[in-house]
Amino acid sequence: MKIKYLYITLTLLIGLLFSCDYDLDKIEPNSISIDDYYQNADELTKAVNSVYAVLQAHQLFTREWFFIHDMRGDDVATGGGQLEVPRAQLLIGTNDPSNYVANEVWKGLYGLIHRANVVIGKAPDVPMDDEELRSRLIGEAKFLRAWVYFELVSQWGGVPIYTEYSTSIDQNNPRSTEDQVYTVIISDLTDAISDLPPSYSGADLGRATEGAARALLSRVYMYRGNYTDAKTQLQLIIDSEEYELAPNYNDNFMEETEYNIESVFEVGFMDNNAATGWGTNLGDGLNQETTLRNQEYNAISWRNAVPSDALLAEFEHSTNGDAMDDPRFNYCFYQVGDIYNNGADTLKEGDVRGNTSMLRGVESKISWRKHSLMYKTNSGYYPSGLNERTIRYAEVLLMMAECQNETDDPEADVLLTLNEIRGRDDVLMPVYPTANYPTGTKDDRFRAIMHEKKIELCCECIRDRDLARWYKNGKITLSELQGYLPYFIQNRHELLPIPQNEIDRNSNLNQSDQNPGY
Amino acid sequence: MKNSVLERDFLYKRKLKKILLIMNLTFLLSILLTLNLSASLYSQSTKFSLDLNGKTIREVFQILEEGSKFRFFYNDEFKYIDQVVDLKVDNENVEQILEKLFETSDITYRVLDNNLVVLTIKNNILQLRIQGKVVDAGSGEALPGVNVMVKGTTRGAITDTDGNYTIEAEPGEILIFSYIGFFEQEIQVGDQTEINVNLSQDIESIDEIVVVGYGVQKKSVVTGSISTVSSNEITQIVSSNIESALQGMAAGLYIVNNGAPGADPIVRIRGNGSISYDAEPLYVVDGFPTTDIQSFDARDIESIEILKDASSSAIYGSRGANGVILITTKKGTRDGKVHVNFNAMYGIQTLPKQLDLLNRDQYVQYATNMSNESGTGLPDRLDPANFNQPIYEGATQTYAQTETDWQNELFQSVPIAQQDLSVSLSNDKSVYYSSVGHLNQKGIMVGTGFQRINFRFNSEHDLSKRIKFGQTLFYSSGDREDEKRSQGRSNVMHMIRSVPYMPVTDPTKLGGYVAPDNSDGTDPDNPVKVQNLYRANTLTRKLFGTIYMDIKIADFLSFKSTAGLDNTKTTNITGEPIHDDGFFSLSSATTRRREDDLTSLLFTNQFTFDKDFGNHNLNIIAVAEQQSSTFNRMFISGNLPTNAVVELTGLSNITANGREEENLLLSYLGRINYGFKNKYLITAALRADGSSKLATGNKWGYFPSASVGWKISEESFLSTVESITLLKLRAGYGVVGFNGIGNYDWQSLILANTNYVINNAAVEASYFNAISNPDLKWEESTTTNVGIDLAMFKNKFTFTIDYFNKITDNLILAVPYAPSLGYTADYFANIGKMKNWGMDFEASYWLSKGDLKSKFSANLSFVRNEVLNLATPTSTIYAGQHPDFGGGDITRTIAGEPIQSFYGWEVVGIFQSDIDVANAPVQTPRSDPDDPTTGTSRGDLQFKDQNGDGVINGEDRTNLGSYLPKFIYGLTYTGNYKSFDFSVFFQGVYGNKIYNGSKVISQGMVRLFNSESDVLNAWTPGNTSTDVPRAISGDPNGNVRTSDRFIEDGSYLRLKTISIGYTLPQKLFGSATKGNNVNLRFYVSALNLLTFTKYSGYDPEVGAQVPTTNGIPDVTSPDYGLTEGIDKGFSPSPRTIMGGIQLSF
Repeated sequence: MKIKYLYITLTLLIGLLFSCDYDLDKIEPNSISIDDYYQNADELTKAVNSVYAVLQAHQLFTREWFFIHDMRGDDVATGGGQLEVPRAQLLIGTNDPSNYVANEVWKGLYGLIHRANVVIGKAPDVPMDDEELRSRLIGEAKFLRAWVYFELVSQWGGVPIYTEYSTSIDQNNPRSTEDQVYTVIISDLTDAISDLPPSYSGADLGRATEGAARALLSRVYMYRGNYTDAKTQLQLIIDSEEYELAPNYNDNFMEETEYNIESVFEVGFMDNNAATGWGTNLGDGLNQETTLRNQEYNAISWRNAVPSDALLAEFEHSTNGDAMDDPRFNYCFYQVGDIYNNGADTLKEGDVRGNTSMLRGVESKISWRKHSLMYKTNSGYYPSGLNERTIRYAEVLLMMAECQNETDDPEADVLLTLNEIRGRDDVLMPVYPTANYPTGTKDDRFRAIMHEKKIELCCECIRDRDLARWYKNGKITLSELQGYLPYFIQNRHELLPIPQNEIDRNSNLNQSDQNPGY
Repeated sequence: MKNSVLERDFLYKRKLKKILLIMNLTFLLSILLTLNLSASLYSQSTKFSLDLNGKTIREVFQILEEGSKFRFFYNDEFKYIDQVVDLKVDNENVEQILEKLFETSDITYRVLDNNLVVLTIKNNILQLRIQGKVVDAGSGEALPGVNVMVKGTTRGAITDTDGNYTIEAEPGEILIFSYIGFFEQEIQVGDQTEINVNLSQDIESIDEIVVVGYGVQKKSVVTGSISTVSSNEITQIVSSNIESALQGMAAGLYIVNNGAPGADPIVRIRGNGSISYDAEPLYVVDGFPTTDIQSFDARDIESIEILKDASSSAIYGSRGANGVILITTKKGTRDGKVHVNFNAMYGIQTLPKQLDLLNRDQYVQYATNMSNESGTGLPDRLDPANFNQPIYEGATQTYAQTETDWQNELFQSVPIAQQDLSVSLSNDKSVYYSSVGHLNQKGIMVGTGFQRINFRFNSEHDLSKRIKFGQTLFYSSGDREDEKRSQGRSNVMHMIRSVPYMPVTDPTKLGGYVAPDNSDGTDPDNPVKVQNLYRANTLTRKLFGTIYMDIKIADFLSFKSTAGLDNTKTTNITGEPIHDDGFFSLSSATTRRREDDLTSLLFTNQFTFDKDFGNHNLNIIAVAEQQSSTFNRMFISGNLPTNAVVELTGLSNITANGREEENLLLSYLGRINYGFKNKYLITAALRADGSSKLATGNKWGYFPSASVGWKISEESFLSTVESITLLKLRAGYGVVGFNGIGNYDWQSLILANTNYVINNAAVEASYFNAISNPDLKWEESTTTNVGIDLAMFKNKFTFTIDYFNKITDNLILAVPYAPSLGYTADYFANIGKMKNWGMDFEASYWLSKGDLKSKFSANLSFVRNEVLNLATPTSTIYAGQHPDFGGGDITRTIAGEPIQSFYGWEVVGIFQSDIDVANAPVQTPRSDPDDPTTGTSRGDLQFKDQNGDGVINGEDRTNLGSYLPKFIYGLTYTGNYKSFDFSVFFQGVYGNKIYNGSKVISQGMVRLFNSESDVLNAWTPGNTSTDVPRAISGDPNGNVRTSDRFIEDGSYLRLKTISIGYTLPQKLFGSATKGNNVNLRFYVSALNLLTFTKYSGYDPEVGAQVPTTNGIPDVTSPDYGLTEGIDKGFSPSPRTIMGGIQLSF
């Protein structure tokens, strides 16, 4: 009898043992809630770092961003059948609103806007003493946000504007006008210019500077045809004496010479043993600091894009009656027979796949050297740590020359600026005017600037927007533009289509909001 | 002391008599005569000396009772009782006294051995002592433990170990012989004293016990919709998981296998109840809800019950909305004997179908055509000078002489083997079951496989008459070698694309494998290299056990307390070694290790009340339960300078992170089952669940259900219809929830998992990428179910039909929001309403002709799905976008249509001339009218202008069909002929569509890759009657966009298993078995032997390919969710031929 009670007691005891937790309030222990964060300078700095981190997204500088610019310009041609469909479509203008590359870039750009909006929204309330740091951090976020909105407005037109982070998925904004987008950009950059320092010391190298903001603002003004205001900004950059041309052209494209004197703004990457994130997230992850740019165009790798024949032909060469062969040709390209991998290897025909180029009647395989690591390795498949120089001083000078010319500065002033580019230590091309590039008229000088910019900044994601800008501002005609971009159809190719999934999901957009021609 | 005890006894007797007297004598007799009737020693030896003159018989009895232990039972209405007697006894026993008393009356008596004396009218008891033997009509073997009852009474007996019984009955009474698993038999007693009975087996017993949530019920009184699958049925198919074995076994259960060994299939009960989450059912093993059942061994399973409608699953409240699968493991047999079971099987698995890929010469031809069309040069390798080079330095074979069949290289014939041993034994207090099982399955894709070893120990003990203690304990250790991926693509895809003139291996290369390089103009990874060199192992160790104590407080009330532990440890190891295949090289090895530990504790206290009140039966349960879970994760990755070490030592570039989660579910539930005359049945239940997964205010949910049943066959108007043994009408209604969301989904948090590079160093970065939704609450589904159960011809024919209508509200959705919001994580909200409705049919028929015994069974079900409303910003969800599969979205979910319908363009035909292009709606305008590579040209597909605006754009997409089958079915035949047994099992689906993504790869022709031979039939000016468009690099017309070009009919009929077995006759063993029953069976069987389908891909059974990042399902990937029925290059289910032996004694 007694043992029976023992069992009952035991059973009830088991009950008590296990049923002690009645607390249904479980708070995520792995992270801090949004409301508890942004409480000091360190946390705000990390928030700003996260805005930069989106630049490393697959959607942006790691992959799709440079494709969208390169494919829409005339610097590159297809490397062959290996170029994937959505990229090839951009190159020949058959892209539609479901184009994967364009839609990913859109996603990446808006991802950055969200994080910048968080910083800009939270920063004023962060308890911190260093007001200078606070405004610098806000300035960095505004610089990046302005960079994004300019990417958007120049490629998609008047896009939805968000200047505060959304707290509900229903907060969908309709398309704004282009003017409204520019208002945001110019306001952000004006703030950034006053908030950002002219330069950084070591540990902060790579953050946005006052000069970067001014250079970006100059691009924006020029895109709108406002050369006067652009010139003012450019002059301030030049006068700041923060920058000069690097002695060697390729100092702008090697890992060893990152953050050099010519660099106005660059996107940082870091070697990671060929690992990269193929994922769809915005470059998030602790180990994804590499870019695919090296292996995308690389002569011994995928070689998805090669220099266009038009670009190759643009380089000055004695056979064209030019005084000198432009040395930048060899800085930019590898040809079969070239030495690479620190002199250890010679490029063989069989190592290079895909299409050939036609240069001066000769068919050969010419590949991009710019953005490639081949100068020091023979491994083609290699997501690299090579930084992307997004704005460099050479572009500042070339923009300045154009603005001077457009605002009718004397020829000598224009040439003084323009010829500085040709005077780089390892370039030393004869100064303008030359036999093929006279500078007697304003238009002559414009042609010389066009030429110089095409060569100097080839494959740096500048040319596509320059062509669009010159056409838009009446500097080149439609037929001239079609000479550069044969696929160009008026009222279609001025802008990219708004991504179909944005139209599908944004309650304030419908099919009639699509850009013309799609 | 002694006196008081006697006194108590005396009082007791007095009271008892009073009670007894009031009651009907017949009824009394029935109780009393169940006791063994024989004169006892006491009645013989107790002598009386009394003067009974002038007393009535009634008074005589009183006197006798007072002076002895005798008690007298009689009918008060016997007139004779009040007669005055004239009697004097001297030292006579009770029988002698009674003899004298009733000498002249019509009353007779009987003295029972418990000193009861029963009086009754003479001639009414002419009881015969009947004896006989009960045997199995099939085998002729004696049946011990058969229940023998006299009909209308509770007199009964049980057969002994030799099948013999003895019972007393009057002529004209009916004996009922019943035994579990056998048909009941009734025999009227004549004047014979020996009645031998042959009982025949009832395979489809309608009175078998089925497990329902928190209890058991007789199948005949179940009012919900429940399907049962027996252990025999589950073990028919040898598979690494139980779910696969359930395919086609029960109506309303839809299972799609993932081909790879050890991979979980998709399981749906009555359609997709959920929209963006896994609509997986809840698995409950021995009363313990667990996360996966992949670790369990099918041979340990006693039965599986599938709770399909809300009235049966609502007892699981917030987790039951997608149905519940209850698994009961074997507890052992309580017959005092030792049972040993041993099974061993071995099989060979092969690829059931080959794709028609280009061979070397065809490939060279195709590459040449394609290069010409797009104006790009021929790949250097195909230059004769290069093509005739040796495949590596020193090799005698050239590329031109190489012919690699990549399909044969990647898929091989491989073995599968399984062994199980189980022992069960019992004594009068305890029963034990223990088993060990081992499975070793290689995958038909090289470098995949699954190995599992598992142990079980279950036991139950009677601690006392009222207290029972039991436990279950299971441990399993599984090691799965997964399919690896490279460059974000599956190896089936790499295999399709691999170039036939390339060798697989190259001894001169570091690592031994070679891949196409730049001179090949193509770059699939070498799938054999990826499978063999890369690592992707998942080790799962599961410890699962419960203990319980069952206390019978009273005959009608019991209390059961259960505690359980479920611990699953998963180790995922992935990595790539140092190697160089000529195209891709790694100079340092990478290794990653993820450790997950999931521990769940369950505690349940349950009261069960069960009592009959005359015609009323009442069963009530009340349960308090809590289940808590904790989850830990640790992840480390880094680089190693050597391939010799793969462990986490000497790492550089270390990344480490971890996380911890917990949740708690508190539940209170109650259920009432009421039955009247076993004819009218009512069940009502209510469960309250409180979950930590939801925000305050939404934590508690209440889930009511009710159902009624009417056994029409019990009604008098039907009871005369002999052929109908059961006809039952059921109707149920219930509300069930679904809480399959993350532990903290309503909270939005700061993420610190990213970096940016400042000054060539990674700096930490923090952000948030999700909008929180504290309003998140349960999904709620309301189901109405009406069903009929019918059993006829002694249960030879059974039939069940169910109609159901399930409305799911508050659908939890990862709402697709506009990318311009800038968030990247899923936003979960209760948005939308969906309806699933349809019917289930199950039927079986037994046929016995001589030695041939056959059973046919069939099930069929259809489900229709419709999204009723979607409150997303634009009321639509698009999914499936992938750059490799056309680039655009593949499915659309919109109100008024079935979930995730295929969505794209319709192909009208192929443009035969540029004039046709010019006259058709504008497809893709050529930028250079003279250059056919810049836009639509002859040879391209013409897409239909759905809205007639003259332009083909996104507005011209339309619904292209659904991946949901119109109906699914299973057909089984099992038979026995003498010592042979055989079974055939067909299973199929009808009326579904598949988006054949692998055809985009094998026929897309957008880049140079190996392809299917269809591409040789591509449109050219000389080959115009074809449905394959021109081969054009870059695809200017978007021929690979999502269109009905890639939509195929997914119907199939599959001969899932066919098997034949032979059991050695008992007599062969002779005396060696010492009377034990030895069963030795040999069998051969085939799995997936034949498939009838029009589908052109590997396997019409297209599972979901859940993308993973370091082994963790990546829910942010576009491949995740709403992408079922899209074939992205799956490993198909193998065809298996196997043989085995089963030994039991």
